Amino acid sequence: MEPDPSTSWYPVARSDDLPLRHVFQGELLGRELAIWRADDGFVNVWENRCLHRGVRLSIGLNEGRELRCQYHGWRYANRTAGCTYIPAHPADAPARVICNVTFPAVERYGLVWTCDSPGGVAPGDGPPVLAALEAAAPLGLRNLPVNAEPSTVLDELAAYAFVPTGLLAQRTAHDRPVAGSATLGTEELGAEVSVTDRGHSWIELTARMGEAASRVVLFVQPVDSARSVVRGVLAGGADGADGADGAGVHSPERDQMAVLRHHHRELSRLRDAIEDRAARRPSPVPMTPRLQQVRLRPAESALEHDRRDGGRRTGLRVSVARRWDTADAIVAFELRQLDGLLPTPRPGAHIDVELPNGLVRQYSLVNGPGETDRYLIGVKREPASRGGSACLHDTVIVGDVLAISEPRNNFPLRRDSFRTILIAGGIGITPLLSMAQALHWSGHTYELHYFAQSAGHVAFTEILDSLGPDVTTHLGLDPSGTGSVLTRLLSDPEDGGHVYVCGPGPMLDATRNTATTAGWPDHAVHFEYFTNATEIDSSSSFEVELARSALTLPVPAGSSIMDVLRANGVAVASSCEQGACGTCLTAVIAGEPDHQDVYLNASERRAGDRMAICVSRSRSPRLVLDI
Amino acid sequence: MMKIYDYELSVNCYKQRLLLGILGVPYESIPVDFFPGWEHKGEAFAEINPLGHIPVIDDDGYILRDAQAILVYLALRYDPSGLWYPVTDPRVAGEVASWMAFAEGTTNTASAARLHDTLGYPFDIDTVRAGAQKLFRVLDDHVWFHEQQERPWVASAPHPTIADLALFPDVMLSEQGGISLLDYPALRRWTDRVKHIPGFTVMSGIFPAPAGAAPAGAAPGGATVGRPR
Repeated sequence: MEPDPSTSWYPVARSDDLPLRHVFQGELLGRELAIWRADDGFVNVWENRCLHRGVRLSIGLNEGRELRCQYHGWRYANRTAGCTYIPAHPADAPARVICNVTFPAVERYGLVWTCDSPGGVAPGDGPPVLAALEAAAPLGLRNLPVNAEPSTVLDELAAYAFVPTGLLAQRTAHDRPVAGSATLGTEELGAEVSVTDRGHSWIELTARMGEAASRVVLFVQPVDSARSVVRGVLAGGADGADGADGAGVHSPERDQMAVLRHHHRELSRLRDAIEDRAARRPSPVPMTPRLQQVRLRPAESALEHDRRDGGRRTGLRVSVARRWDTADAIVAFELRQLDGLLPTPRPGAHIDVELPNGLVRQYSLVNGPGETDRYLIGVKREPASRGGSACLHDTVIVGDVLAISEPRNNFPLRRDSFRTILIAGGIGITPLLSMAQALHWSGHTYELHYFAQSAGHVAFTEILDSLGPDVTTHLGLDPSGTGSVLTRLLSDPEDGGHVYVCGPGPMLDATRNTATTAGWPDHAVHFEYFTNATEIDSSSSFEVELARSALTLPVPAGSSIMDVLRANGVAVASSCEQGACGTCLTAVIAGEPDHQDVYLNASERRAGDRMAICVSRSRSPRLVLDI
Repeated sequence: MMKIYDYELSVNCYKQRLLLGILGVPYESIPVDFFPGWEHKGEAFAEINPLGHIPVIDDDGYILRDAQAILVYLALRYDPSGLWYPVTDPRVAGEVASWMAFAEGTTNTASAARLHDTLGYPFDIDTVRAGAQKLFRVLDDHVWFHEQQERPWVASAPHPTIADLALFPDVMLSEQGGISLLDYPALRRWTDRVKHIPGFTVMSGIFPAPAGAAPAGAAPGGATVGRPR
């Protein structure tokens, strides 16, 4: 095995080692792997340890879309291995940078292949393509662990002796009952076996007897310096189509078992001999896998963009893979990364989209858990559009490239609630759909109430259908009708229950008031406004002191704190810049904020320790910020 | 009520709790100070079991010792379906008995390694680990070939039997004795299936299966597992 192991592909499992909701424990070149198939079919090959306390993820729970660590319940998303939830911090979205180490995966010849190239970046050539196995459906043999050095195992496999498939099938069918088939020996039949091809980690053998011939390829998986797994694949399957003479009249299943048992018996016999010899040699030093830092950011360009643009982040490039009318005046856009993986979104997250006309708009992601190969947004054409929704509806077509930000989550979902009530009005369904899917697929109790004008205004019905009876739509209600439904839904405030609401401003206000009246505490009512409808009063002037930057700046009437900071070279993250999204929330050390946003709730406003610096100002002459 | 002389960390006691939970039979656990008190080796306990082993059950005055024997009794006495020890099918019953005997072997090797590593028992650790590896190879081969024939369980019946429960804890906790299951993927899949049996209960070190879809064949009566593609 001479070639660079980091660019060589090896089989690490059989495809059928990954049944529904299983996590396979594997190892390659001294590195343990957790391998699992998500419900969408994607095969994940990850470093086998949780980033939190190093516990093996192979004892974790495959929830179909996310893998949950058994120890403290950290959840990681299908495909990206991005951490999506930390139970010890239920009210917070985990930092975007927490991502496990992933390896590329390819399925070929009934085997799962990977290479020791972390980050999911696959060397170009892929697993070997072997003519013998391309011809007809090959049959995977029983995998065989061998306690010996991989290179020695490969050499010794040249002595593997077996009987051509067609003869095995005939003998077992005519001469022996199935129970006796396993004792059929190579010697008694006298097949001639020769090595007919060889690669750096595999060997092809051909057995001939009279007219009959069969080929087997044996792949050697280097588990560690003194441990290997032999993974055999028989060309032509169990029917002996690979050069054998005609098959008789007998059961194909019985033939297949006889063939599998024959190879397992002969390979085991060879394995015992190889292990005997290996046990007499000094044991080599175990391999040390190369550990690398967990990758910090999926797109370096995002960082660059941050610096150039004073905190705005639209450093990702995506193309529009699909667009369709999902409801009256609502268009759905499916966005795909131009190369590599998109950052992992969490339920409730939104992205900034830079439009062709230069405007920047925020859209919530509709993605379900583990749906990490695309971003899905729904855009409603606003009658009073200032150019955002109209531009997307009228000019953006499939194939267009858009600049977007990484997903940001200021509307995070708790996944420890005994009862979760999701309330959506109109296009406000988008973040709540992503939450509902997360709760649905991890088996939590929740209800989703979707208020819409008519059946034609109900968006993403295919996702709603997949959620089943936990979804209720309320159609064509006027404000008072909506009010009485809300009163009924929220009539029973519960300890440990949580309410999430998104929709038009008046409906949000009504929901929040109804919840407060019914006795729901502020901290249990979560909301997200799309826009801040309050008229911003920017007539005050005051001084802002930046405690960490040691700067004091005057904020004149007509300028926001954010404008002043950026004009003075202080980068601050922002998104909506109208006091709705919460991205620019900043800690207040001293002074009395003049809140003008719609992000903070009443008790957060009273506390006065955080403020949205894009619109909020100061009641006191001096404000000290933790920047 | 049924009483078990019980120790939380004992795999042989856990087997009984597992079957009783699956069958829905109420029982009272009588804790035995196995470690560090060695109560099962004391004079008082010798009255109950002169061999000084747990578990022992006391079912309304009927006293029975030996982990595998108790499984047989509980299945025959409390399982109206007759599936857990299917004596009406001589071949399956024979297989169950043979795998129950195999479980004695895993107790003497995998369990011994676990007692060595966790409670400091003076076993020759290399010998017991090697013995367990040898048995696990046999069991993994057996389970793999059964999977190829769409047989999800240790015996060839389409439903689990007490043989599965007799073997499950030693396999599941083998890592505590320094025996990795990395080389036995078929055993790891089979333990997933056992965890999906309705009424499954856990013990320290054994976690429940995820909610949601059960692997094919896990529910009693189901019989399918994936075939090679």
